[in-house]
Amino acid sequence: MSIQNWPFHTVLVANRGEIAVRVLRTVRKLGLKGAVVYHAADRNTAAVKMADVAIEITGATPVASYLDGAQIIAAAQACGAGAIHPGYGFLSENKSFCEAVEAAGIRFIGPTPQQIELMGDKVRARNFVQKAGFPVAPSAIEDDDPASFVERARAVGAPLLIKPSAGGGGKGMRIVRDLALLAQEIERGRSEGQRYFGDGRLYAERYIENPRHIEVQVLGDGQGAVVHVFERECSVQRRFQKIVEETPSPALDAALREKICETAAGIARSIGYRNAGTVEFIFGQGGEFYFLEMNTRLQVEHPVTEEITGIDLVHEQLRIAAGEALGYGQTDVKSSGHAIEFRIYAEDPARGYTPTTGPVLLLHPPQGEGVRWDSGILQGGEVTSAFDPMIAKLIIRGRDRSEAIARADVALRDTVLLGCKTNTAFLRRLIAHPAFVAGDVHTGFLDANPQIAAEPALREESLQALLAAAALSTRPMRDVADTVPDMQAAMGGWRN
Amino acid sequence: MKRIESKLNTASSEFAANAAHNRRLAEAFREKQRAVRHDRPQRDIDRLRQQNKLLVRERLELLLDPGTPFLELSSLAANEAYGGEVPGAAVVTGIGIVSGREVLINAGDGAVKGGAWYPLTVKKAVRALDIAIENRLPVVHLCDSAGGFLPLQAELFADKYYAGRIFRNQCILSKMGVQQVSVVLGHCTAGGAYVPGLSDYNVIVRGTGAIFLAGPPLVKAATGEEVSVEELGGCDMHTSVSGTADYPASSEEEAIAIARDIVAQFKRPQKTLIEYLPPEAPYYDPGELYGVLPRDIKQQFDMKEVIARLVDGSRFHEYQPNYGKTLICGYAHLWGYKIGILANNGVLFNDSSLKGAHFIELCNQNKTPILFLQNITGFMVGREYERRGITKDGAKMLMAVSCSEVPKFTVMCHGSFGAGNYGMSGRAFDSRFLFSWPQSQISVMGAEQAANTLADVKIRQLAREGKKLSQEQIDAIRDPVLGEFKRKQSAYWSTSEIWDDGMLDPVDTRNALGIALSAALNTPIADPRYGVFRL
Amino acid sequence: MQHAFKLGEAEHNLALSRSAKAYRLHLDGQLIDIDLKTGADGRAWLTVGERHLPVVIATRGDEVFVHLEGEAYALRYQHPLDRLAAQAHGGAEDSIRAPMPGSIVALSVQAGEAVSKGQTLLVMESMKMETTISAPRDGVIAAIRYEKGQTFDRDAVLLSLEPLS
Repeated sequence: MSIQNWPFHTVLVANRGEIAVRVLRTVRKLGLKGAVVYHAADRNTAAVKMADVAIEITGATPVASYLDGAQIIAAAQACGAGAIHPGYGFLSENKSFCEAVEAAGIRFIGPTPQQIELMGDKVRARNFVQKAGFPVAPSAIEDDDPASFVERARAVGAPLLIKPSAGGGGKGMRIVRDLALLAQEIERGRSEGQRYFGDGRLYAERYIENPRHIEVQVLGDGQGAVVHVFERECSVQRRFQKIVEETPSPALDAALREKICETAAGIARSIGYRNAGTVEFIFGQGGEFYFLEMNTRLQVEHPVTEEITGIDLVHEQLRIAAGEALGYGQTDVKSSGHAIEFRIYAEDPARGYTPTTGPVLLLHPPQGEGVRWDSGILQGGEVTSAFDPMIAKLIIRGRDRSEAIARADVALRDTVLLGCKTNTAFLRRLIAHPAFVAGDVHTGFLDANPQIAAEPALREESLQALLAAAALSTRPMRDVADTVPDMQAAMGGWRN
Repeated sequence: MKRIESKLNTASSEFAANAAHNRRLAEAFREKQRAVRHDRPQRDIDRLRQQNKLLVRERLELLLDPGTPFLELSSLAANEAYGGEVPGAAVVTGIGIVSGREVLINAGDGAVKGGAWYPLTVKKAVRALDIAIENRLPVVHLCDSAGGFLPLQAELFADKYYAGRIFRNQCILSKMGVQQVSVVLGHCTAGGAYVPGLSDYNVIVRGTGAIFLAGPPLVKAATGEEVSVEELGGCDMHTSVSGTADYPASSEEEAIAIARDIVAQFKRPQKTLIEYLPPEAPYYDPGELYGVLPRDIKQQFDMKEVIARLVDGSRFHEYQPNYGKTLICGYAHLWGYKIGILANNGVLFNDSSLKGAHFIELCNQNKTPILFLQNITGFMVGREYERRGITKDGAKMLMAVSCSEVPKFTVMCHGSFGAGNYGMSGRAFDSRFLFSWPQSQISVMGAEQAANTLADVKIRQLAREGKKLSQEQIDAIRDPVLGEFKRKQSAYWSTSEIWDDGMLDPVDTRNALGIALSAALNTPIADPRYGVFRL
Repeated sequence: MQHAFKLGEAEHNLALSRSAKAYRLHLDGQLIDIDLKTGADGRAWLTVGERHLPVVIATRGDEVFVHLEGEAYALRYQHPLDRLAAQAHGGAEDSIRAPMPGSIVALSVQAGEAVSKGQTLLVMESMKMETTISAPRDGVIAAIRYEKGQTFDRDAVLLSLEPLS
C-alpha cells in the first residue's frame, strides 16, 4: 500500500538513538531522503551515519538541543524536509512544536495539535475518556480544587499512585502505601514534576495491587478510520519503566483481548485519531482494566507489534501524514506468532538499576532466526549520562511464546557489548524465572523478586577464567611474564 | 649426536640399594636445608613481625618473578660453624629472575642474630659479588643487618677477602656497568651503609629502614648528640635531604615493588652466542641418578650414566672414545646450550691427562663452555708413571684448565682427592660455579689412607725410640684423625666453608647448570691464550 | 603477589607467569595453565586448565572487559605500585563520590562549612530520581567540585571533606 507520489521527499527525524535509526530505515526503504538532527554528543552514532543529511543542533545540554523546536524546524527547512518525524520522547507530544511545524508548512508525522493537547494532559484525558464511557480508576485531581487535593487524595485511599499531571514515562510517579507520608510524597512529586515538565500539578489515583500493564496499538487516519493492531503486555517494569514487552499478552483470552482492544480502538475513534497511537490500560488480577493514558506517538515497544503483524508502523505513520486513508479494516489486521522486546539498558540492575556509562569498545549484536536488533549505538561510540540509558532493543520472534523465550536466551547470551555495563545478564535471569516463563507477572514483579536483579555469586571456575583473560590482556602483567627468558619460563618456580 | 646407551640395570638389587641410600642422603640434605631456611627462634620471628618486617624468604618471593626459578647458592654455608647458630651464614644469595632479568640476589637474614655479619657471612657475600662480577649479573641487595659480629671482627674486617671486599666488589661492578639496586629494609650501619651507598639505585622503607655510619647510641657516645633513628638516617631524611637514598616506600611490599620496577629499567645484556639447540629433556630419568651413585666412596661407576641423566636427549658426542678411557671427554647440549664435558671414569693416567688438556683446548678454540664432573682419586702414582711424565702431563692439564677462557662449571659428583681436584677444575681454578652432591668428598687423600699415613709416621717415630704400640694405642692415634678427616672431607664441611657454591640434590643439577650457563653467557668469551705447556 | 584486579568490590591478587608453551595463572596458591588465542574483533579462545572457552575481550586503560558465557564483566587492573602506595596512605576516605552518573539538583553546603554526620550535602538527580547525599561523618567541606546543574559520571568526586579542626 505504498504511495508513488509522496507530498514530501525528505523526512527529518527530530530524534536520536535507536528510534532515529528505526525511522530512517523505513524512510529510506520507501525511497525518501532521510535527514536527522544531532547534538555533538551524538556525532558518532548510527543515525548520523546512515542519514542522507545530518544537521548539528546545539543547546545548553544535549537534551535541551533536541527540545529546541525552533532549531529543528530551521534544520528541516534548511534541508528541504517536507515532514518531521518526532520519534518518541522529546518533542513527540509537544503541542506547540506540532503547531509550529505545521505553521512552517511542514507535515508533522503525528496526531493533530488538539489530540496532543487532549491526551497530553493526564487529567483532561482521563476526564474525556470517562465521559466517553470508558473505564477509569478512582482518583483525585489537583486541578479540580488545589486546596482540597491532599484530602481528596487521602479519601481515594491507600495504596495511592501520585503522578504529575503533565508527565509521562513514569517520571515523578510515586506509590503511597502509608497515608501519613502522603503530604511529603506529594511535595516530592511536585518538585520533580516542576523540574521535568515545568508543571508541578499532580493527580492521585487508586493504585491497583499487582496490576499488569497492557496497552493497545491503534492506527487512525484522521479521516474516520481507526483499527487496533492488538495489544502489548509491558508488565515487567522497574521504577515504572518498561523492560520487557511482548505480544500477545499471556494474560488475555480471546474474549478479553477483543474487549480491551476494542475499548482502545473506541477511545481513538472517539477523537478521530490520526497517527499511530497507544492506549495504555492498567489491568487488575481479576481481569478488570482501566484507562491509564494514551500516547499519541510511536511507542518504544512498537516493534513487537510489527513482528507479529508484518505491519511497518512507521510506514503507516508516513502514509497517514501524507494524507492517505488507512485503506483497510480491522479484519485485515492479522497476527501470528509471538514477539518479545527486551530493552537493553546501560544500567546496573544489582545497584538499584543505576545508569552506567562508558565507551562502546566492542559491539557484537546478536544474530539468528527471529532476532531483530534496533539500536543507535555503534562500536567506538560512547554511552553518556546525557540521555536516557536505553541503548538498544532486542526483539525476538517465535512461533509461540516458549520458542521466543528460548531464542531470546541465546540472543541475549550472544549480545556482546563491552565497555559499559548493560542489563543483558539480568534479562537472562528474568526470562529464566518460572513466573516469567508462566507469563505470571505484574508491574511490581521485579520489586517482589529482587533476587533477579541481584548479581549471582560468581562460580569459582568463572572467576578463574575472568582473571586469566584479564591477566593475559593486561600489558604490565604480560610484560612481566614475557620478558622472562625461555629457559627460566620452562623451569617454572623451581627451587634447589 | 647419538644417544648414550645406558647399561644400567634399573631392576637390579644394586640399583635399588643405591637408590634407597642416595634418596635418604638427598632427604637428609633437604631436611637440613628446610631447617636452615625456616627454623628461627620464635622471639626473633615475633620481633620482626612487631616491626612489620617480613622474613627473608617472604621478601624473596615478593622480589622474584612469579613462576620463575631461583638458584640458591651455598644454602648450607656456616652450617658446620658457630655451633650451627648462624644458618645459611645469615645471608641468602642466589640467581633469580626479577622483572625478566637475571639478577644476583644478596639478602641479609634479619631473623639470624639480627642479620649480623659473621666471617662466613662476609665470605658468602663476597663470593656472591664475585659471581656477579664474573657473570656480569645485576645485583639486588636486600639490606637488613645489625653490622659486623664484633667478637669475631678480626676474622671478618681487614683482610683482602674480608668485609671491605664487599664494597670493593660493588665498586668494580659499577665500573663494569653492571647495575645494582639496594632495598633498605632494616638498619644499614657503618660499613653496611655503603651497600645502599654504592648501589646505583636504592629504596628505603619508612620507619624500619635506616642508613648511617653510626647509630644513635654510638653518636651519643662519640659526640654527646642525641638523635632519633629517623632523624639520623631515616627514609624521609635520606630521600629528601641527604640524597643518600632514592625512593621512599611505606612498606616492605612497596619497597620491593619499586625495586622490581627499577630492575625493569635495566638494559638486558646481549648474551654471548654459543652453539644452541632447542632444549630437550634427558631421555633417561634424572631420578635414576640415585641408583647410579654407589654407596661406597671407593667404588667405581660409569660417569656416562650420569651424563645420560643430565644432558639434552641424553645425547653425547664422545671425543677419543678409545684413548685415555679413564677420562670421558665429549660434547652435549644442556638446556640447549652446547657444552664440553670432562668426566672421570677412574684415575688420571698420562693419556687421559693429555686427552683432557687437548679437549679443553678444543673447547676454548670453539668457545664451548666446559662442565667438569668429578669423581677422581687423583693422578696415577708410581715409578712407571713418573717415568712416563705423569707430573708434566698433569701440569699440561692444570695449565689448560687454569688458562681456559670459556666458562667452566664443576660438579663434585663423588670423590675428589689429591691433585685430581685441581686437574678437574676444583675451587681454586675459578670455575664460574661449583656444586657438590651430598655424598661427595674432598680431601688431599682418602680419610683412611690419611689416618694410616699419620699413624704410620707416629709408629715409626716410636719404633725409632724402641717403643712398640699396641693395636689399642694405634687405634687411639688413628681414630681421632680418621674422625676429623671424615668430617672435613664431607661435602657438608666444604659447603659450610663455602668451598663450593652449594650442595645440590643430584636431580637438581641440570637446572642449576642451566641457570649457571645462562648467567655465564653475560660475559664475552675471550680468545684462548695459555702459558707454557711442559711438553 | 602484588598484581590485583578488582571485580565489583572484591580484589583478587594474582600473578601471571610464562610456561614452556603458554602461561600460568597464580591464584590462591594454585597454578593454572592458561592461554589466550586472539582472533578478530575482540573474539578469543581462552584456555583455563582443561577448559576451552570462547570469550570476547576489550580493554581501555586499566579496565578489562570480558564477555564470558553470556555475561559481560568489567575488571580493573591495579598496578602493584599504585595498589601498595594506596594501601600505605589508606585511612578514612575523604572524597565523596557519585554513586551513579547524574547531575546536581541542589547544593546544601558551601566550601569551608562545618557539617555533621548525616547532614544533607547535596541532592543529585539520576535516572529521573532524586538522591540525597549526606555527610558520612562530621567534618568541614574542603572543596565542592560541581555546581548546580552540572553532570558527572559515576565515581566522580562530588566534594571532599576534611577533619574538623
